[in-house]
Amino acid sequence: MPSVRAAETVTVLDVKPAAPPSASGPDPERRARRWRRAVTGWTFAAPFTVLFVVFMALPVLASLAMSVTDLRSTDLRNPFAVNFVGLDNYARLFGDELFVKAAVNTLIFVVIGVPLTMVVALAAASALNSGLIRFRAVFRVGFYLPVVTSIVAIAVVWRFLLDPDAGLIDNLLRVIGIDGPDWLGDTRTSLPSLIVMATWRNFGFLMVIFLAGLQGIPQDLYEAATLDGASRWQQFRNVTVPLLRPTLLFGAVITGIGFLQLFEEPFVMTQGGPLSSTLSVSYHIYNQFGFGNYGYAAAAGYVLFVAIVALSVLQFRLLGERD
Amino acid sequence: MRRHVRAIVGVAAVAALALTGCGRESGGGEEQAESVAAGKATGEITVWAMGAEGEKLGAFAKEFTAANPDAKVNVTAVPWDAAHQKIASAIAAKQTPDASMIGTTWQGEFAKTGALDPTPMDLIAKDAYFPGAWDTTVVDNTAYSVPWYVETRVIFYRKDLAAKAGITKPPASWDELKALAKAMQSGGAKWGINLQPGKTGSWQSVMPFAWSNGAQLADGGKYTFDSPEMVEALRYYQSYFTENLAPKELAEGALIPAFVRGDIAAFLSGPWQVSLLKEQGGAGFEDKFAVAPMPMRKSATSFIGGSNLAVFKDAKNRDGAWKFLQWLSRPEVQVKWYQATTDLPAVQSAWQDAALSGDANLKVFGEQLKDAKAPPTFPTWEQVAAVVDTEVEKLAKSGADPAAAAKTIQDKANAIGTGS
Amino acid sequence: MATVTEIRTRPRDRAATITLYAILIAGLLVVVGPFVWMALASVKPESEIRQVPPTWLPETWTLDNFRELFTRLDFPLYFMNSALVAVLITAGNLLFCSLLGYALAKLDFPGRKALFLVVLGMLMVPGMVTFVPQFVLVSNLGLANSYAGLVLPFLAGPFGVFLMRQFLRSIPDELIEAARVDGAGEWRIFWRVVLPLCRPALATLGILTFLSSWNNFLWPLVVATTEDRYTLPVALALYSIGQNRTDFGLLLAGAVVVVLPVLIVFLVLQRHFLRGIATTGLK
Repeated sequence: MPSVRAAETVTVLDVKPAAPPSASGPDPERRARRWRRAVTGWTFAAPFTVLFVVFMALPVLASLAMSVTDLRSTDLRNPFAVNFVGLDNYARLFGDELFVKAAVNTLIFVVIGVPLTMVVALAAASALNSGLIRFRAVFRVGFYLPVVTSIVAIAVVWRFLLDPDAGLIDNLLRVIGIDGPDWLGDTRTSLPSLIVMATWRNFGFLMVIFLAGLQGIPQDLYEAATLDGASRWQQFRNVTVPLLRPTLLFGAVITGIGFLQLFEEPFVMTQGGPLSSTLSVSYHIYNQFGFGNYGYAAAAGYVLFVAIVALSVLQFRLLGERD
Repeated sequence: MRRHVRAIVGVAAVAALALTGCGRESGGGEEQAESVAAGKATGEITVWAMGAEGEKLGAFAKEFTAANPDAKVNVTAVPWDAAHQKIASAIAAKQTPDASMIGTTWQGEFAKTGALDPTPMDLIAKDAYFPGAWDTTVVDNTAYSVPWYVETRVIFYRKDLAAKAGITKPPASWDELKALAKAMQSGGAKWGINLQPGKTGSWQSVMPFAWSNGAQLADGGKYTFDSPEMVEALRYYQSYFTENLAPKELAEGALIPAFVRGDIAAFLSGPWQVSLLKEQGGAGFEDKFAVAPMPMRKSATSFIGGSNLAVFKDAKNRDGAWKFLQWLSRPEVQVKWYQATTDLPAVQSAWQDAALSGDANLKVFGEQLKDAKAPPTFPTWEQVAAVVDTEVEKLAKSGADPAAAAKTIQDKANAIGTGS
Repeated sequence: MATVTEIRTRPRDRAATITLYAILIAGLLVVVGPFVWMALASVKPESEIRQVPPTWLPETWTLDNFRELFTRLDFPLYFMNSALVAVLITAGNLLFCSLLGYALAKLDFPGRKALFLVVLGMLMVPGMVTFVPQFVLVSNLGLANSYAGLVLPFLAGPFGVFLMRQFLRSIPDELIEAARVDGAGEWRIFWRVVLPLCRPALATLGILTFLSSWNNFLWPLVVATTEDRYTLPVALALYSIGQNRTDFGLLLAGAVVVVLPVLIVFLVLQRHFLRGIATTGLK
């Protein structure tokens, strides 16, 4: 990286003299500096924070309040004329067999889907960044396409791929003598099929982020490692991964959040079926809002929030900075 | 840190105090409708309508504005996808238009919000409509909207394949329907009939059989699913799957091509399939299929759906809106609307017009509409319907016991409550 | 354009290269498949689109779907609405999120950690939960059916803050200290020193923000009470998804057209990833 191309040139005379220790002690000076830092910091933060508090924080507080009442859609015109039910909604959730099923499905989704997506995205980003491949733009755009393609088109093609009679996958399996299952219609294979599909759909998004991160790793580190005789794989493990940590953490958290809130794939492909085997928590919440159970659905939403926070904390522990 | 704790406790205390001031008022119930001023409509009338109706209503309303020159109708077309959410949000934020199209199964929920204006009975004649359609507008003994167009479910079948199998009359009983399906399947069709095997909306295929067998969905303010009539109907519906007469899974959009090919010999569905069949069947296909009413058991009852039109309490132009809705309910206007959109009229006398009475297939729909029921207008119906759909899926795909299914539906419906 | 690292052609490398190409191309085919199908389907008639099994190359080529798309819909209006909203939201996010991200990453001020945690926490609240309260709030502010209502709630996205903060942490403090010592004010440091180094992150954030605001469906649907405020996804759903049938031809033609601006933004911005290489190599 070229040194600071600052417009300011430095001359000895421009350098501010160090602050002399004042007679009244270092405290006022420090307090003044702290005040200046606070003002600077908050000025930078102000535009975002104002918008954020108004348009995000207030609705969150409102929906939190909603979750401890029995508010239904029929109360929408008089949202304050509802009964306070405390943690009743939350307690009911754990006795709701559909919610429990959805929670288990979502957990499986995340435990398998997040690492899978991260590995595929990292592999793709590394391959494209490795300097071995030309036409990188083609691959970059190509791998990003599923992220931008309409879910309707994706659903049609994937449903065809997975069709037990006419689908490509089962026909290929038949060629080698295996009788493939009804991927989307069998409760045992429906969730794994959706996991693969969700990974396929989302890895491009992560790949773009990892590429940005990989760009930030200085080349001379790799050159030094090569001079030391390290193989590509060793370089990857000892140079790339540690320096990519902040980006990996970011990718893990974002993907975790995304997969915990999985909605579109089951909604379009299987409608949560067959027999709720692909029902995700987000889908369940969507249904509950649709039925008008606003208080209950809000409570489910905050349970999901707690899960997301828990997962992110775990990821921060595993991948966070060591400082 | 202590400062933070104190602040949090303070906020929580205020919130708790505020919430204790809350509480639902009991009561509600019948509402009296206000009458509408006489004379022509004036002012701007804002209307929301979904899908194709939304697209066409704007131009269609020009006749109304011709007759009421001081009025202006502004139609905003709303996508069907998420329309329910849009209306609910509009009610919450008090951003409702003067009038809106509402799906019949949303009626109970929206009426209970208090956002809908009761139908002025001096302006609207209840007996003009099909009784099943009118019932969809009534919540707690008050009507809150006006039926606009209707649909009902009948049996579509390949009469050429039936003739080949030796059957020349439409099926008139449950046994005859089963026999028809069996015969056409032996005659070469892959599936004798298609009945929706669970998933969203399958209750609309199951309930006709239940109603025809005398089952009731609600009685005196409670859901009543667990009855011998319902169990019998569920058993009959399931038998098509256990006897391999109906497919347990069908891809979206695959029904009509399969019917045209002859892979599926019959299905239970609504009037919109008629134009789809004409499009995809090609020339001459109309002669190959026929439409039959629900087979008779204790009655030959089907499901009635469609859309209603409601005026909002917060409407800026209440009188104008009701007058517009009244105009849309005129028999001649209903016929014209049918000609513009193929939506079946909700007004009975409209069916006497040649445009409708002259078509053989439509006549069947018209007859069926006279004996067609709708689910109760409880606000929780959609949630209970989802329970029914889940149980039907289990019945069709995993051979669950119909008696157990009916009991499960009843238990869950009791837990959900009617929301009234 | 600056070239990448020299491609060393050790024999081990060649084998690796070939394997990599093979895997990547296979992956590309799998990945690009549905998009290709979507593009091909948009020039097929409705009956062929619904065929099972689906066909690849059209048996009948037709531009009817696109014709319908541009005549039935007031396409320029919806396109402009979508474009305006997406551009404003993207620009706003790029600015505000980098401001806050920088403050969180490099400036020390009281409440910094709490603010970061709150913003991060907001990222984790499922969107559905706050939807209705957000709409009620926006309506009470008088912003229903306005461009402000379409844009303001998304101008401050926690995702952008998180991304910028993570990226900015990797910028060496020495650079900023040196600029401070040189007498540069904080704003100048941010604008002239730090931001130019953030191109990859800004490009990424730009693409992702543009994509999500361009494709946003539910919020524009609910906020707009008249059709002239509809965005493209809303208009497309209106005309193609019916109560009982979906007009796939129109939907897919719409999907192709809707994808194009996103791809263009992607192609334009992704070059910055490449340029980023020229500036790597700290010290």
